Formats: sequence, structure tokens, C-alpha cells
Amino acid sequence: MRPLEGVRIIDLTVAVAGPVATSLLADLGAEVVRVEPPFARPGTHLDVAPHVPGTPDRPYNRLVGYSDLHRGKRAVTLDLSRAEGRSVLLRLAAISDAVVENMSPRVIDGLGIGYEALRAPKPDIVLVSMPAFGRDGPLRDRVAYGPGIDAASGLSWLTGYPDRGPMNPANYYADYTSGVMAALATIVALRHRDRTGEGQHVEAAMIDAELQAVGEALLDYTMNARVQTRTGNAHPAMSPHGVYASAGEDRWIAVACEDDAQWRAICHTIGRPELARDERYADVVSRAHRRDEIDAIVSAWTRDRGPHEAAEALQAAGVAASAVQTVPELLDDPQLAARGFVHRVRHAEAGEMPHMRAAFTLAGAEVGPDAGAPLYGEGTEYVFGDLLGMSTAQMAALEEAGVARREHPG
Amino acid sequence: MTGALDGLRVIDVSEGVAGGYCTKLLAGFGADVVKVELPFRGDSLRRAGPFQADVPSIETSALHLHLNAGKRSVTLDWRCPSGRALLRRLVERADVLVVCDPPPEIHAGRAVVTQVTPFGAAGRRAAWRATEIVAGAAGGYLGMTGDPDREPVKPYGQIVGYYAGLQAALGTLAALAVRDRTGKKQTVDVSVAEAAAFLVGGALQRSAVTGRAIERNGARVVGFGDGYHYPSTVRPCRDGWVHAHSHNRFPELLGAFIQEPSLNAPELLADRLGHADTVDAALDRWLAERDRWTAVAEAQEVRLPFVEVLNPGEVVDDRLGQHRARGFFPEIEHPVVGAVRQPGPPVRMTRTPWRTARAPLLGEHNAAVYCGELGLEPRDLARLAAAGVL
Repeated sequence: MRPLEGVRIIDLTVAVAGPVATSLLADLGAEVVRVEPPFARPGTHLDVAPHVPGTPDRPYNRLVGYSDLHRGKRAVTLDLSRAEGRSVLLRLAAISDAVVENMSPRVIDGLGIGYEALRAPKPDIVLVSMPAFGRDGPLRDRVAYGPGIDAASGLSWLTGYPDRGPMNPANYYADYTSGVMAALATIVALRHRDRTGEGQHVEAAMIDAELQAVGEALLDYTMNARVQTRTGNAHPAMSPHGVYASAGEDRWIAVACEDDAQWRAICHTIGRPELARDERYADVVSRAHRRDEIDAIVSAWTRDRGPHEAAEALQAAGVAASAVQTVPELLDDPQLAARGFVHRVRHAEAGEMPHMRAAFTLAGAEVGPDAGAPLYGEGTEYVFGDLLGMSTAQMAALEEAGVARREHPG
Repeated sequence: MTGALDGLRVIDVSEGVAGGYCTKLLAGFGADVVKVELPFRGDSLRRAGPFQADVPSIETSALHLHLNAGKRSVTLDWRCPSGRALLRRLVERADVLVVCDPPPEIHAGRAVVTQVTPFGAAGRRAAWRATEIVAGAAGGYLGMTGDPDREPVKPYGQIVGYYAGLQAALGTLAALAVRDRTGKKQTVDVSVAEAAAFLVGGALQRSAVTGRAIERNGARVVGFGDGYHYPSTVRPCRDGWVHAHSHNRFPELLGAFIQEPSLNAPELLADRLGHADTVDAALDRWLAERDRWTAVAEAQEVRLPFVEVLNPGEVVDDRLGQHRARGFFPEIEHPVVGAVRQPGPPVRMTRTPWRTARAPLLGEHNAAVYCGELGLEPRDLARLAAAGVL
């Protein structure tokens, strides 16, 4: 049993945040049908990312970014700027449960495929919109991707070294947090529809999801008029706390000491039992005052050891620690592997591809990723033929008119 | 109008950001969330700073006010037998039980049990400890953040913890969908380290396919290979910093816009990330003559996705009026803290409004829940309180 079995979702999303949402819905068992423009368009196919090496044929089917973000979906093309294209979309909406889109508000409304248009053929449809700044307000027409939202939320300002300028957290938090938020809101809205028969328009603005994650900094300002700034790896209530150099090139270990008992455990683990009795380091306040000394003591031990070996020793003593894992290491991490975190799925032209599942397992339900990304236009027969009942001649006519394509324009 | 999750009953015995954010979201969508807190001590969020006026108090922590908003609070020492018996009765009536580590030893009945732990409840490292920085390190997210010439740096605050909470809410709704259709008991096993790994995103697959490590790259876009469009970075201007981003469809737009035609030389256009220093220098010349607001307004005019880097005060002060127009920072009245502006709804739904409400006082709903719903007498409450159970 898959959680969203029997649910059909039309995916009009581009870039990253929207596809994150719909890929999770596909992983949970929804049938997700991507409707893509019938012309080559960077951003939609993420064709700025690398290709999986292979034959020179059809490289657009082996785009790494596309492969990851669209696993488990179907794909058709439709020119939504034309009435014939919109009419096919509305026929598809009539047999779907939800539509997810992240165009800028003026684009979807300008195309005439907004909520009112979509609910005409399907009164209980759920439309999930993911604007950057909101569907209204003075910034509604601004263009922004994930990192721009990180900047607008305060997260970039707050991230970095105390003695240097702001930076984004790696890989754009906003895309991934607003993507999951939109997936969650979709399921919540479908649950409400199942119980009441009511569809609705859901607005999951990227900035609104992102601002939740910096809530304590915002309240520190509204309550205390304090503007927080970058503190790097220091923690106000823990010492040692940070990232320490390990043996090996650019290798590091993260260590966090939550209380005095853990400090004593650290002292014994690093072969300095006398420090456990040293008054100068007896509690967190004194250790925080001597942060540099504490960091030097920890570093003197970590620098000659591999980060994994050191983390094992500290964890065995009850201290929170982990190697700062490299991305390739995630693919072989024993804990992630034991929990089946990375799914290896066959793609028709790119071969076996690794995909991360969501950050949870469900007992008693099957969850993906369990199918590769679609080839260009691969879903045409199924969606137009099987689902919408078009004849071969009707599909050919759509292609003839340039409203849909099965072959990439190159 | 009622919330989308109206009628859903959630018991939350978790502590910390991840479980707290999970149930904050469920409460915002309309669920009845009862936070079960240890007597006197309360949820760990209540004891984490910053506090109002920097005076520690169990009612005035920013994390508590933000993350426990919209919930009810009862006190209960569920580690002792009579406390566990009461918790069992609460859970019997619930749809969802959210726990962290260690979980209470009770039979959850028909409730979906969502457990959030640092490394997941199964696997050899299930017993490993983690804090935000350690979970970020284990998941590979920390190692991607920072300057190439310095140590990796932890992103602000507890954003990995928040992310695990958001994922936990998604898993909970998925499990409810299965339970509602099959009637079978469901458990959700959430790993904070996996949430950090999920944030690595497409870099995992890119690394697997190209065989390359993913190197930290400062403010610049991380983990893409040669030929990737650029800029996507943070650069200084007259009064601060701007996030500068190229146009994904028209990479030549930037050079034309800032009147740096050399950026559109073919070898540069073919590999902008490989020429990032040159692009930055050109951007810096243009930005040096502008403040954030002017630079971004001019760039947005031609659809270049530039955005001002705002500090948290500037986010709330909202010079451009976006949040004000949308009522995003509602002022919420709290009996101890007074009126405080807080982040508003992450999601807006036309038929089922988000519930915006204050955080509860510790044990504020003891009488309502234990007497009103479980049928205890006031004298039972007094007896349990005297025994330290409530």
C-alpha cells in the first residue's frame, strides 16, 4: 500500500522547489504527470546540469538534475500559450486531483489556467501555487530562485564566519524547505477534500516557509530589538562545540559537548583525564570563557586521527560527534545504507541512478523513489491515449500543429 | 471556517526543534496538539535562549513562543507508572503520537507514532547522539557550506532540525493516509541526519555520476560542474550585500545589463562558473555605485533575479512592504510576554485558514484536558500534582 495510491497530480513546476514537492508526492505513490513546454527551455529541463556520460544521442534524456528531480513521474509536452494546449490541460485536470505550479503569479493567471479555470472541469481540484514572495503584495512579480529567498529571509546574513560576509547555506535551503512544505500542504488539502468534498487554492510561498526556520532570530528582534549576526561554529551553551581538523586532506570532525558529564567523557577519551578535574574547565560558563583553549585541546587530539575513527571513540563515550562527511561518503555510509536511504533506480537511457528518499521510513507502507525519470515526451501514449482517450490520429494532429511533441526539438 | 486538520488529535511528548516544528505545523493546519511536558522543567525549547529581555524563564524563550504556538500544554511525568497510565489514556484518544528519544513505553493503539531521532530508530548508529552541528556533519550538508580556505561552517541556527520536523510532518500525513484506508497501525521513523542529507539535494547524484567530490565554494553556487551558469552568489555593494543570479534562460543578459560586454565573450559564456572571479569583479564594479535597493530594483526591472541580503531586523521592518501587505507578522498577545510579532502562516489555503495562536503556559491546559476530557476530578489533579506527576 502506497500512501498516495490513486491520486493523480499535474506537475507544472520548473527549477528546483516545485520539482522537489512533486518528486516527493511521486515517491509517496501519487501518479505525477509533468506537463512541459514543447520547446527546449533551459530551467525546465535543468539542462545546465551535467549529463550522464553516454552515446551522443539524445543527451537531454540524461540530464542529472532532471533525472533526480523528476524520478517516478510521467512527462508530456503541451504548449499552454495556445488554446489547443490549454484545452488538453483542462481535460487532464478533469481527471486529476491536484495541480502543482511555481510560475510567477502573473504568468499562470496570464495563461488563463489559474484556479477558476482549473476548477471549471474539476470543481474539487486542489491547486498548489508556489510563488517566490507571494501571490499578492508589492513583490509578487519579482523573480527569485532558492538562493534569493535565502537572502530575503535573513538566512544568508546569519550564515557564515563571524569575521567574514554572509553566504548561503549550501545548495539552497529555500528550494528544499518550500518544496517539502508544498508537498505537505498538498496532502493536507487532499485529506480535507476527501472528508468534505471541497477543493481549494493553496498558496505555499517560498519566503513564508523559509521564514519559519529563522523564527528565533526574528523573535529576538521583535522581542529584544537585537539583530543577530554570524556566529560560525560557536554555540552559546556548549563548549567544546565546532568543527575540528582531522587527519587527511580537508578532513574535519564535528563535536558538540552538551553538558559537564560529556566534557569529562571527552577528557578521558582524548587521554587527558586530569582535565576532567581541572577547575578552569569545570562548567560550561568557564569552558565558554576559555573557548580557544578548549578548541586547542580537542584539536590536538583530532588532528592525528581520521574523522570516522575519532567520532566512533567519542560516540562510544556518549559524546555527540560525527565525521564531516563528504558527499561521496554518503553513498557508502553504513547507517544510511542500513536504513535504505539511497535508492538505486534504473533509468531507461542513463543507467542506474542514485536517489535519496525522504528523511523517514514508514512501517507498513511502500515508499519510493522506485522509478527513473521519464524520457522526453515518454508519457504521450499513456496520458493522451490511455487517460484522455485520444486516438492516434488526434495525437498526431496535436503534434502536427506544434501543440505537443514526442521528439525533442534538439 | 475551520482548519484543514480540524478534528485530528495529536499528542506530542517530543522535545527539541524537530518534533516541535512538526507539531507546530500540524497545529497551524488545525489539529488539536497537546504538548505533554515534564513538570517544572517543561519542553527543552522553553529553556533555550534567546529569552525576552535576556532573562531566562520557561515562558519567554523565542524558540518556545515560535514553535509551540497554537498548541495546548499539559504537564506529566510520563516516566513514572501513574504518569504513564495517564499518557496511555491520552494516546488512546489520539490520531498521532510524536516522540523523540527515548520514547515512552506505551501501547499506542490506533495512533500513528512519529519518532524523531538523530540517526533514526533503526541501524547500528541508532544510539548515537547528535546536536544540530553533528547531524549536519553526518548528513554531508555542513561539509558543503563554507569558504574553501576555512573550516566548514554550520548554517545558522537549527535549520537542519527544522527541516527534520517538516519532513516528520510529511511522513505523519503519509502514514495517516495509509492508516485511514487500511486501519493498520503506522509508524514513522524520522532521522535528522537523513534530513541533513536530503538538503544535499542534486549534489549527491552529480557526485555519483561525475565521480567528483563536492567542494565548498563560499557564497557561490555549490556542486555544479564546468559550464554551469554564474553568477549565483553574494557580493558586496554600497550598503551591504546583494544576492546576484544570472538569468537561467538568457545568460548574456547580465553582461549587457551591467555594461560589461567582456562577460559575453564566447569562452566566458561557455563556462561562467569557471570564470567566477572575472564575473565577480565585473559585478563588484557595478554594485560599488549602488545600494542594495537600487541594485535589486534595476536588476528585477529586466528580470534578473537579484535579491537584497537582509538581516533579521530588516526582514521584520520590511522596507518594501511585502510582509505588511500580506499580514505576515501578526502581533500575538501572550499573558507573560505581552504582544509580540511572530512569523505568520507558511501556507495559505482559501477554504481552511491557518491557525495563528500563542504558545501555551506550562500546564495551562491541565484542567481542561485531564478533567474536561479524561474525566478526572479536581482533587485527583491536586493529588497527582502533590506527587510530582503533574
